[in-house]
Formats: sequence, structure tokens, C-alpha cells
Amino acid sequence: MTRYDAIVIGAGHNGLTAAGVLARGGRRVLVLEKNAGLGGAAAGYEIAPGFQAPRYAHLLHAWHPQIEKQLDLAANGLSFARRDLPTLALAEDGAHVVIEGGAARLLSGAAHPDAAAYATLHRRLVRFAGVLSAKLLETPPQFHRPDWRDLASLAKLGFDVRRLGAADAREFLRVLLSNARDVILDEIGDGPLAGALALDAVMGGHTGPRSPGTALTLLYRLAQGGGRHLPKGGMAAFCTALAQSAQSHGAEIRRSAGVAAVTVENDRVTGVLLDSGETLGAPVVLSSLDTRTTLALTGVEHFDAEAVRRVRHIRCKGATAKINLALSGLPAFTGVDPDDLTGRILVAPSVQSLETGFDAVKYGELPAHPALEVLIPSRLDPTLVDGGGHVMSIIVQYVPYHLKDGWTAGARERLAATVLDLLERHAPGLRSLIVAQDVLTPLDIERETGAPGGHWHHGELAVDQMLTLRPVNGMARYALPVGGLYLCGAAAHPGGDIIGAAGHNAARQAMKAPQTKTEGHAA
Amino acid sequence: MSGRYDVIVVGAGHNGLTAACYLAKRGLKTLVLERSDWIGGAAVSRELYEGWTYSNCSYVCSLLRPEVVRDLDLPRHGLQVIPYESGATFTRDGGYFAYYSDHDALRREISRFSRRDADNYERYARAVMRQCRFIKPLLLRAAPDPVSNRPRDIAELLFLGKRFHDLGDREMGETIRFWTMSIGEFLDEYFETDVIKAHFAGSGIIGTGLGVYSPGTAYVLLHHYMGEVDGTIGAWGFTRGGMGGVTQAMARALIEAGGEIRAGAGVAQILSKDGKTKGVVLDNGDVLEASTVISNMDVKRTFLNHVEAKDLPDDFVKAVKRFKIRGSSAKLNIALDGFPSFPAAPAGAPFLKGDLHASESLDELERAYDDWKAGRWSSDPYFDMLIPTCIDPTMAPPGKHMMTVFVQYAPYELASGESWDGPARDRMAETVIAKIAEHSPDFRDLILHKEVRTPWDIEREVGLTEGNIFQGELTFDQMFFNRPVPGYADYRTPIKGLYLCGSSSHPGGGVMAAPGANAAREVLRDLGMKVSGLTPAERAA
Repeated sequence: MTRYDAIVIGAGHNGLTAAGVLARGGRRVLVLEKNAGLGGAAAGYEIAPGFQAPRYAHLLHAWHPQIEKQLDLAANGLSFARRDLPTLALAEDGAHVVIEGGAARLLSGAAHPDAAAYATLHRRLVRFAGVLSAKLLETPPQFHRPDWRDLASLAKLGFDVRRLGAADAREFLRVLLSNARDVILDEIGDGPLAGALALDAVMGGHTGPRSPGTALTLLYRLAQGGGRHLPKGGMAAFCTALAQSAQSHGAEIRRSAGVAAVTVENDRVTGVLLDSGETLGAPVVLSSLDTRTTLALTGVEHFDAEAVRRVRHIRCKGATAKINLALSGLPAFTGVDPDDLTGRILVAPSVQSLETGFDAVKYGELPAHPALEVLIPSRLDPTLVDGGGHVMSIIVQYVPYHLKDGWTAGARERLAATVLDLLERHAPGLRSLIVAQDVLTPLDIERETGAPGGHWHHGELAVDQMLTLRPVNGMARYALPVGGLYLCGAAAHPGGDIIGAAGHNAARQAMKAPQTKTEGHAA
Repeated sequence: MSGRYDVIVVGAGHNGLTAACYLAKRGLKTLVLERSDWIGGAAVSRELYEGWTYSNCSYVCSLLRPEVVRDLDLPRHGLQVIPYESGATFTRDGGYFAYYSDHDALRREISRFSRRDADNYERYARAVMRQCRFIKPLLLRAAPDPVSNRPRDIAELLFLGKRFHDLGDREMGETIRFWTMSIGEFLDEYFETDVIKAHFAGSGIIGTGLGVYSPGTAYVLLHHYMGEVDGTIGAWGFTRGGMGGVTQAMARALIEAGGEIRAGAGVAQILSKDGKTKGVVLDNGDVLEASTVISNMDVKRTFLNHVEAKDLPDDFVKAVKRFKIRGSSAKLNIALDGFPSFPAAPAGAPFLKGDLHASESLDELERAYDDWKAGRWSSDPYFDMLIPTCIDPTMAPPGKHMMTVFVQYAPYELASGESWDGPARDRMAETVIAKIAEHSPDFRDLILHKEVRTPWDIEREVGLTEGNIFQGELTFDQMFFNRPVPGYADYRTPIKGLYLCGSSSHPGGGVMAAPGANAAREVLRDLGMKVSGLTPAERAA
């Protein structure tokens, strides 16, 4: 039996990051991927011959610069078509807003009436996010019998908060558990600018801007300033760079190698059993799959009833869908110069519209006006398409996982029609350009990526499921109750989005434990 | 009228009266001023229809701090609270789910619906009880300022930290979860039966601008559960003579302690000079001097209507304006010609004496909330309906009854632009009456009189901004050291000698008297008077 120091289940971006960190730590690592392609939720694919599209996630949002450096991604082929993409927030009345970081203006060039207030708010929120962002790359502290590292971490947090100054520190503590709607609308009026910021708080989650706790998810998205970047070659190239970074230090990656079970002996992992029947040995197994699946693969009998019960109750109802289009040409957005289509384009006309969208999803209904984050990556990176066409990647926020009456073919058509109708209001004739179309409901996303409920955080990023409570009370430090078994994906702290922190932190945690290096011989 | 006092309290609500009592008992010359002709604020009984006494705002008692009841000797002054020991939710299929405070009876009742739920009820009750035990000692303590370096604050933070840590690993996590979860999700973890969840979820949203799936509502449930009647934690009861019984007892205690109350004497302005309190000006122009003024009004009303902006720091005013006080409740007080029949209930059912509801699922409750968010009153509202005359016959003539119906949700401002002071009021009332009538065929015919209180009415009459019963939303951005303004969570204000003692202050609303007692303690502290021994919590500190 082949033996490794560590086996990583899932070659998504977190699994590959974990492998890269482990390999650089001198461990012999094997990454197992069920699919033929790598990347998980960061994968790219050919939507039509000659058209490369991002299948799910389409931008690097808060990809951590420290991890980028640690994994030498630039040396391994990662470059950017554009960093810090601007945002074009479309307005129903044509008064579109262009947002670049904390600067907002009207597309027409005129000043936005809330520009100053927005800049102040953005600056403050980024500052607050900065206080928390150090925690992204740390294992959550434990409050009971904290070790010196935990105490140091907590002390530093306290110190960083106080360093904001008394007034800002108080504001930080007030805002922390507030909701996105109030935090935003206390400073600026409702409209596309407010909607854009609120979308940052709720995208990917089953939550509305009024829900308490969304201020925290907003801060999460603003870590590192909230910039969004498009890798050259698309998300596929990003995944390739990650894979290469791990392989360049000796990690092995096996595709089409699904894991049937994690093998356990005397409460410690001994390796994995593949679908093919082959067994592989390792004293450490890191799973980038969600918690429930990980427990199931390991065998729930190895966990106590309380742990199983808690895991069963993890909330993971996805509320986000994806529509990918191959287009024969660049769509014309009314009143928008083609040069202004290089950023992400939002259809989120107000905080109110987001809340209404969420209201529908709560009952398993499709809202009349879901929010859209649209990207035309080929506009910035022509290498993605052969010829003069384009790809359009649309994240649809507020699509229920459990649709009343089910996701029938008719329901999927209705979803596509709703989205295309919304877009055609701004880009008439869009439909006539469509060469190929893929509709991925949360159910599809679950089936393809394994994300439970199609939830891209593998578990709601709600305050009671974050930090020391993520994925559940008692399992928050990546190590699961079975020896040598770790969670390294979005299910663990700090959550999903393409950050890589979960993989990075889990790998570091795994390397801290004794017995993570075998003698490393092939059987 | 003129005069000099040691302490003037603006507003004879239960918190103002409480603060006044504590201070008068220490020998301070104390005056309570009340704008209305009656006292009690929202804890009041009024005869609005001849022969009937309405508890026309708050209607049941549980949260009143036993320490305050004992310190002010309220039973001797007439306070009598009789627990009602059960309640029920009626379902559209003609059935019901009953709640009994008797544990075994409740278990049997839950088993009617689901054995699994009956088994899980033990765990649910224990989980909530654990949270009650954790939080109770914190109610009569001032919240610490986490940003200050003052020894008092640091000591309080350490006290809280230790208390939290002493819960143990598992319980610490569960506590954080409980405080940040929604009541809907919390209940989903224990129960599968819709009506049972809906029955319990109501107290997670009463008085709030939140829905059953909004994070933080599990805490609101706790807030409503951490009271007691006669030592039974979580029990609710009727005050003999209506909720006015509470404030009448407090008023008697105040008079006995040498304090004064003046009704019909509204305060126009709180006076200060060079950052120091000077006294008040009444609506009629009279000036009363005092170096200590305590406001029982909510924080917005106090500072935006009764204190000059130039006397306050700009960011304090901004923070006050930003404090969320959102009206979401309505009330119907109804005089009945007899006891309405509820065909779903077995003959002689004891739960008819308790809290009655007709919302059967969490989704139904959530949709009621969605209506509120859209600026409409709920077309399918949640209500908390009681007939106190079953237990306290003094509230109506013999054989007749009084019904109190508390309704969620009703917005302060209607999206249609209509005023509440018109047909909208009756249309909203009709929505509620129609829903009650679904479960009681003779109800309508028994209605002799009804008083309908929309958020607008409550604001106008009682002085609660937007008719919000808690003087401010109970969400974490506005609780504890954030209540009402970060940096001013200790009852003090930017003006020396001016204090807040109402529900806008920690620990928040409900007829608790905790803010009033806590504020009094801080006043005494500032006057250099001994405060130890004032409350058991203080003795324990």
C-alpha cells in the first residue's frame, strides 16, 4: 500500500492550497480529486468549442496576498488580466453608478450625491475589516483553557480594537453585530450604490441585508480592502497555478479518483479507500468536503452522538445560482460605453430589492428580481475566446435550493428567463447573441461540487456558525474528533469565497500535531 | 409651581417610579413629573369603557425584578401577581396545541403531536433554563465600557469574562450560539411540529422589528423567559387590577418614602448650563430646579425633543438619531359581554385563562414579518390574546369579560402613505378580529367596546417613540454596552446630573424595573452616597 504523510480529499482551491503548504513543509502529499478536472468551485470549463468560462466562481475576491506569496503563485503561472476591477452598478432609471474601491461616481461623469458619505463609510468599514482580517489566517482561539497562542491572539485583537481609538473602537463594537442594511442606510440613501455594498454582505448566503449579523459578513468581504481580481486565463489558470505550486514541491495530484471512505483504526485515521477499491495509507487526512460528507466518509460511528447531532444541524441552504453564456458578440448595454464593461456589472438596484429577493427564497420561491453579479471576463482577457465572441458569467443571488414544486426543466427555464429578462432591460438583444447557455441551480451546484445545499460556504456564514463555532461547537480548530482527520475547506474557519485561508490554516494545524511525517516509503 | 428638589424624574413610567423610590428612600427630595393625567406610562390600567379596566399597554407581568419587588416592599403596597399556568395555539383544522407550565402535562400534550418532540422538549427547556441562569445576575448590573481603562469597567469585564468562562467549553459555545441564532432555527433543532414551534416562537418576536428567522431572536425569547412569578422561572401572570397595579404600588411606596408625584405636569425642556443639569421647564412655563434629573422617556425623545442640541456633542446627537426605535406592534383592548366560546378547546380547558394564539407555523410568522418590512400591517398577524378576567374578575362587571390582544406586526408608517388616524386603524383591527373570529364564532357579537392602538396611537398617548414597547430594538448593536449609545451605557449622559432610566437603557424593555433600579444606583454613586447593599447583585460584586 502506498503511504503518504498526508492525503487531501478534493482538489478545489482549499485542498490545493493545503497541499501546497504541506508540501512546502516537507510532507509527502497526495491530493485526490473525484472529477477529471481540478478546481472545485473555482473550476473553469469549455462552455462551447472555443469558449472558456468560469463554471462557478468567476473572480478572486479576497484571495490572501500572504498565501499567494507563500505558494509562489506568480512563479507558478499566476498573472492577472486585471486587479481591482471596478463595479458598474446598474440603475433602473439609467443613472448607473461606477464604484472603484471607496470612490463612487455616476457613469455620466457627474458626482454621486452620496460620494463623500460613501467614501467615509467604505474607509471605516475597511479599517474595521482590517482588525478582523488577521484572524483569517489564524486558527480560531479556544476560550476554554486557552493556550498561550490563543491568549496572544485574543490580546492582539483587543489591542487592535483599542488602537482604533475610543470612538472608532466603540463604533466597531456596535457595528460588529449589526445588519448591513442599517450600517449602510444610516450613511447613504438607498439605490444602486447601497445595493452594491449590501450585495457584498449577502452574496452566497441565505440571508438578507436586514438580518442581524450581515455587518460581519460585509466586513469579511472587505478584508484586504475588498478588491476583486481577474486571473489571466480565467479561474482555470488560477487552479492550474495552484496545482503546479503544490506539485513543484512534490505533491501528487490524482484525478478521477473518488474517495469511498476514510479508513480508521483505534480512533485514528489510517488512510483512504478509493472508489476503485485501492487503499492508500496516511496518518493525516484533510478533507475539503463539507462536514457532513466528511463524517459520513469516515463513518459516523466514530463520532459521539452530540457531535453528529450538531453536524446534522449545520445550516447550509444555498441561495445562489449560476448562469453561464457563450455569446457571439459583446452585448450592448444601453447608455454604457463598451469600455465600461470591463468590470463587474451589478443588477442590485437597492437594499430593499435584495431584502425582497430574500423574502421569496425563504419560502422556496423564485423572486421576480433576483440580484445579479455579471462578468464578461473575455472583455479583459481575450485569450478566453477563440474569435470575436464573449463569455458572460452571471451569479444569481436569491435562488432557492428547495424550490417549491421542485427544479423541473420548466423551473430552470423560468430561472433563465427571469435572469435574461432582467438583463435585457439593460442590454436589449442579449438573447440573440447566445450561442450556448448553462443554468446551474443550487441543486446542480451541490451535485457537481458536493457543496451541501449548493451553499458555497458549505455552511451558512452566520455568527453562530463562524470562528470558534465553525463548523460546529467543538470542531472549530480544523481537527476533527478522530485523530489525524482535518477539515480544510469552506466548512471550516474562515469560510468560503476564494480565499484559501481554510486550506492554509488546516495544513498548518495538521503540521503542528506530532506524527505527521511517516518514514515515507512506498509499500 | 416652582421649587427646588434633589431629584426630578421626568415620566411616571414603572422605571421612573422605581428610580424615584430608591432615591426617596435614601432621603433625597424627589419629584416625579408626568405629562398625562394618569401615571404608569405603559404599565397602566385605565377605565376606557364604563365598568371595564383595561391594561391597555402592557398586560402581563413576569419580568419585574424580584429584588425590586422586595426592596420597595411592593406587595405591602398592593402588588399581587397571579400566574396563569397555561396557554394555547388554535389551529385552522379545529385543533389546538396547549402549553402547560406543569412539565408532565406539557410532555403529554407534546406527545399528542410527536414523541420525538416530547423527548426533545426536556433538552430544549434545559437549554433555555441554562441561559436564564447565566443572564439573570447580569440584569441588575451596569454594562461595562469595553473601551475604557477605568478600574470599574475592567473589573466588570473580568467578572463577565469569568462568569462566561465558568460555563465550561461546551456551554460557552452553546451560549454564543444561543445569543446569535434566530428563534426559528433554534426551535428547528429541537422540534418537528409546526404549531409547537410557532407557539414558542412568538415570544421571540413580540415587540420587535425582527422575524422568527432573524438572528438574535433566540435572545429575545430569553428576554421574555427570564422573569418569574413566585419563584417559577419563565412564568407569567396577571397583576390584580391590571398592570396599573404595578405602578400604583410603586407610587404608594414612593409617597410613603417622602417622594412627590405630579400628574398633568408635562416637561417641555430639561435645563442645563455649562454641561451641568439645572432643572426642568414645564409645559406651562413653570421652572423647577434640581441638579439631578432622570428621564424615563426613551433616548430619542429625551435628547431630540427636550434637550437643546447645542448642549450636546454632535456625535452623541448623531448616535441618538441612529438608535433604532421601530414601531411594530398594535393592541386591541376589548370589552366583552360574556366569555367567548372556543369550540376547539375542551370544556373547562384551563388554558383559556392564559395566552392564546392562532399562528400555526414559523412560515406564517415570517410572512407576517415580511408584511411589516413592506410597510403594511400583517394580513395574517401573530397575536397574544388573553382574557385576564378569568383570573382577576375585578377588571369587568360580573359575568362580563375583558380581552387584551397584542398584535405583531404593524408598522409605524404605512407604505401606502395613509395615516393611522383614520380608516386604516379600523381596517387593521378588522384583520385581527376576523382572525380571532375564525376560532370563536360568537366573538364578534360579544364585543361591546374596543380600543384600537396602532403604533401611532401608542406614541401619542404613552410617549413611546413609534410605539415601540422596548424603547429601542433589542438587537446586539443596541444592547448591553451599546445601549443606548456606545460610551453612554451606564445611565449617564453628556450632561452632568442628567440620567436615563427607561428601557432605552440596559437591560432593555419589558416591565422589568431593572433600568430604573440601576440608574438610581448610579445616581447615588455620583452623589457620593453608599451604594453597597442596595441589591443582591451589588452585594455579590
